[in-house]
Amino acid sequence: MHAWKALSVAALAFAIGVGSANAKQEDITLELVEPLADYKIYVAENTKQLVKDTTAFVAAIKDGDVEKAKSLFGPTRTSYEKIEPIAELFSDLDVSIDARADDYEKAEQDPDFTGFHKIEYVLWEKDTTDGLDEIADKLLADVTDLDKRINDLTFPPEKVVGGAAVLMEEVAATKISGEEDRYSHTDLWDFDANFAGSKKIFILVKPLIVEDDPEFVAKVEENFGDVDETLAKYKTDDGFVSYEELTDEDRTVLSARVNTLAEDLSTLRGKLGLD
Amino acid sequence: MREEKPMKKSQQATPQDETVSANRRQVLLGGIGLAAGTALAPGQAFAKSTEEEAGQGQVAEAPIAGKTVKQRVPFHGEHQAGIVTPRPANGIVASFNVIADDPEDLEALFRELTARIAFLTQGGEVPELNPKLPPADSGILGPVIEPDKLTVTVSLGASLFDKRPWLRELKPKQLIRMAEFPNDALDSEICHGDLALQLCANLQDTCIHALRDIMKNMPEYLVLHWMQEGNVPVVQASAGGEHGTARNFLGFHDGSANPNSTDAKEMDRIVWVTEDNGEPDWAMGGSYQAVRIIRNFVERWDRTPLGEQELIFGRKKDSGAPLDGGKTEFAVPDYAKDPDGKKTPLDSHIRLANPRTAKSQKNLILRRPFNYSNGFTKSGQLDQGLLFIVYQADLMEGFLAVQSRLNGEPLEEYIKPIGGGYFFVLPGARDRDDYLGRTLIEAIRSEPSQQAAEGL
Repeated sequence: MHAWKALSVAALAFAIGVGSANAKQEDITLELVEPLADYKIYVAENTKQLVKDTTAFVAAIKDGDVEKAKSLFGPTRTSYEKIEPIAELFSDLDVSIDARADDYEKAEQDPDFTGFHKIEYVLWEKDTTDGLDEIADKLLADVTDLDKRINDLTFPPEKVVGGAAVLMEEVAATKISGEEDRYSHTDLWDFDANFAGSKKIFILVKPLIVEDDPEFVAKVEENFGDVDETLAKYKTDDGFVSYEELTDEDRTVLSARVNTLAEDLSTLRGKLGLD
Repeated sequence: MREEKPMKKSQQATPQDETVSANRRQVLLGGIGLAAGTALAPGQAFAKSTEEEAGQGQVAEAPIAGKTVKQRVPFHGEHQAGIVTPRPANGIVASFNVIADDPEDLEALFRELTARIAFLTQGGEVPELNPKLPPADSGILGPVIEPDKLTVTVSLGASLFDKRPWLRELKPKQLIRMAEFPNDALDSEICHGDLALQLCANLQDTCIHALRDIMKNMPEYLVLHWMQEGNVPVVQASAGGEHGTARNFLGFHDGSANPNSTDAKEMDRIVWVTEDNGEPDWAMGGSYQAVRIIRNFVERWDRTPLGEQELIFGRKKDSGAPLDGGKTEFAVPDYAKDPDGKKTPLDSHIRLANPRTAKSQKNLILRRPFNYSNGFTKSGQLDQGLLFIVYQADLMEGFLAVQSRLNGEPLEEYIKPIGGGYFFVLPGARDRDDYLGRTLIEAIRSEPSQQAAEGL
């Protein structure tokens, strides 16, 4: 485990100040204290929500209510997907919560395959909750552990700011193909959450760059706007339609916006003078 | 006749060896006797040269490039480069979906693409950025980009026009979505596209670098739809200067009967769209490009008797010479003297593709293919084939007519077209003030409907 994970929240400003090489960077890290504190609240709210939603999801599974469990799968994941760059800092939990079948040599049949996607596989492919009790209990224990660990975590500024781009990389690499939620096709829920999480970070640091680089800010906002507009077409009363209903044209538009956002947001750390 | 050929060949290779009949007996008796009797011991003939050239050094030292990295193909001109440019050893075709909602977007796309290609093909230093930012360049060629004979050829697919009302009227007349021929098994994931790039260079890394550069710099306009890498075997220069065409993965010379790509008049007739073609004005100087990803069943082919392989192609495998005589691949077969196909079967590949009649003159096309190797299939067979690329001023009279004649040819048993598409190559960018696609953009702006839309 990295040393910074042991630092307390109170030490945040001090810790990032010490790491700075020059006065200018110290200025920017001081300016980042408030956005980082706000972001920490955002993450805490989401992990709290994740525990709450997972509790209901797990209860449905243990009640043997397949339809209810299916209906809760997409929405439950959103609070995880919004904060994925931070959640992923705990790689042990990320693996047990969110690994996909192809992360394992024996794919779906691998005994180590667990978490959300194992449950998704059994719910959709086997249409049952049989045999899921233990895996559901483990998922709840893992997200509860994640909630606790994240609350104890000092957020490294470069991880937070870099997270805006990381979320777009996630979408570009595995979401746009529909391979993330391959059994349930609830990918648009994940998409929406990833964009929301990325936009949150961008909006928090925007005041620090808008004066120096208004064109950049305008371009990023326009791309987020296009994504919102495209996703809005697929919204339903309680979420999103199946990913299979996404047209090739809209998938191309989303791809282009995601790749452009990934390129642009990859400069965010540098623009803020972070390493 | 079929049986005699391979025997003669082996006799030529080692004249001191046994007689034809002795060889035949060995084949019958032992099977491998022929090979063992005629083959050189490993390294026997080449030992000296390989040792001298391999040299000494550390294992991790980079392989040394030849002087060819300095070769620069001019970017500006009436036509785009990469068509009558002599084909280098490596190539990629990449097909993209285009994001362009209006003529302004499309113009911005063309201008940016032109700027990237002009830089990449001419070479130069990569800009240095603040190290806190991602670097401007992938860095895979180092801080200075050598031109390495790179060409990047831009072409447009029918879908680009069909999907946009403001472009529809300007589509080249023969530009269509590739349709399936009887032997095709097209996979939609590797077919069609709005815009294609053909990248060619001496080294594949140069092509890959250029592709990554363009994708990194233009994500808002271009989304990759499919791509296929390819290469052709390099050969040693011959004393006479003319060293022949490269071989495909079936082991045959490919491109032997190509029209003369250094003859500008012939290229104007066969390759470049001119006023004679009845195409929109903006398309003058462009060309139709047909790309086909054609899988070769190489294991099966390699288990086919040599004589049969030669009859299927209509050429000798070793020399490339036509079956009715001649010593080299450039000898011209005389089909008039062989009307029944006794020497060159009527359904052989070269005879169907180019019957060399007065009428078939208008079906001539300029082939510029690469071989591809994509690993292997689920059955454990090699996934190899031909990245077939062909240029012509008239798609109907060109590739479509030729392929229609080839339908049902015996070669089909060994090949399967699975992907590709038809595209229209933009005219060239004439000078530094010009950009690829300018004539199309200007044509959009002068369309009456467009002027109305813009309130002109």
